[in-house]
Amino acid sequence: MFKFFEPSKIFQVTSKAPKYVLFLFIIVFSIGLIEALILSPEDYKQSHAVRIMYVHVPAAWISLGIFSSITFLSITGFIFKNKNFFLIAKSLAPSGFVFNIIALVTGAIWGKPTWGTWWAWDARITSMLILCLFYAMYLISWRIYENEEKVFKVTTFITILGVINVPIIKYSVDWWNTLHQPASIKLDGGSSIHSSMLLPLMLMLLVLLLYSALILLMKYKTEIIRIKKKNIKRI
Amino acid sequence: MIQSFITMNGYGLFVWLSFALTFLACVMIYYKTYKTLKKYEKDFAKELNKLSESERKLVLEKSKIASQVLASYNKSI
Repeated sequence: MFKFFEPSKIFQVTSKAPKYVLFLFIIVFSIGLIEALILSPEDYKQSHAVRIMYVHVPAAWISLGIFSSITFLSITGFIFKNKNFFLIAKSLAPSGFVFNIIALVTGAIWGKPTWGTWWAWDARITSMLILCLFYAMYLISWRIYENEEKVFKVTTFITILGVINVPIIKYSVDWWNTLHQPASIKLDGGSSIHSSMLLPLMLMLLVLLLYSALILLMKYKTEIIRIKKKNIKRI
Repeated sequence: MIQSFITMNGYGLFVWLSFALTFLACVMIYYKTYKTLKKYEKDFAKELNKLSESERKLVLEKSKIASQVLASYNKSI
C-alpha cells in the first residue's frame, strides 16, 4: 500500500496535476462566486450579511479537516517510520493555517453586524484561536529543528495535543452557551439549511478544497526538490 | 440594481471585506508557494549543472525526479 506514497510516484502526480486542478478551480470558483454573491437569497434575519458564511464556514471546516489529516499522517508516519507521510503533512499545514486565520478574521467581520462586536471570548472562537496556535507551533517546529528525527517527534506530539481541541471546537456550541448557533448541517441528515444556501456553501467548500490541493501539490514538490538538492551527489 | 448589489442593504462593507481578504490571502499564499517552487527548481538545475558531465548523466539516469525537475525548469525558461 505504501508504494503509492513513494516520492517518485507522487512527484509524477505533483508535476502533472496542478494545471488540471487550477483549471477546475477557476471554473468552480466562478460558479461559486456567482452563487454566493448573486443567486443565493438573503437571510430573513441577517439579510445580506449571511453571505459571509460562504467563506467563513468552508474555511473553518477545511482548517479542522487539515489539522485532523496532519495528525493522522504524523501518527501513521511515526508508527511506520515513513518520512513521506511527514512531508505530506508539512505540505498541508500552510493552507490549513491560512484557512484558520481566514475563519477567525471573517468570523470577526461577521460578528460586528450580527452580534454587535468584533470579538468575544466565546467557546467556539476561543477554541479556534487555540487551533491557530497549534498550527503556528507545528509550522515553527519545522523551522526550528534541523534534526529530522527530532522534528518528526515534536510535530507528532504537537498534532496529538492539538487534535484534542478538534472535537471541542465541533461540540463547543452544544456543550456551552455560546454566541454561535448550533450546527445547521448535520451528517445524519437533519440539516436545517435551505438548499438555496446549501448549494453555494458546498460550491465554496469545493473551491477552497481545490485551492488546498493546489497548494499541497506545489508544496510537496518543493519539499522533494529540496531533499533531492541536498543529496544530489548521493542519488 | 448595481448600487444595491454593492451596498447589500448596508452590509456591503462586511461582505466585500470578507471576500476580498479571503481572496487576497489565497493569492498571496499561492504566489509565495509558486515562487518558492520555481526558486528550488532553479537552484536544483544549477546544482546539476555544477556536476561533471558523467555525474550529471548518472544522476539523471538514476533519478526520475531529477530528470523531471530539470525538464520542468527547462520548460519554464
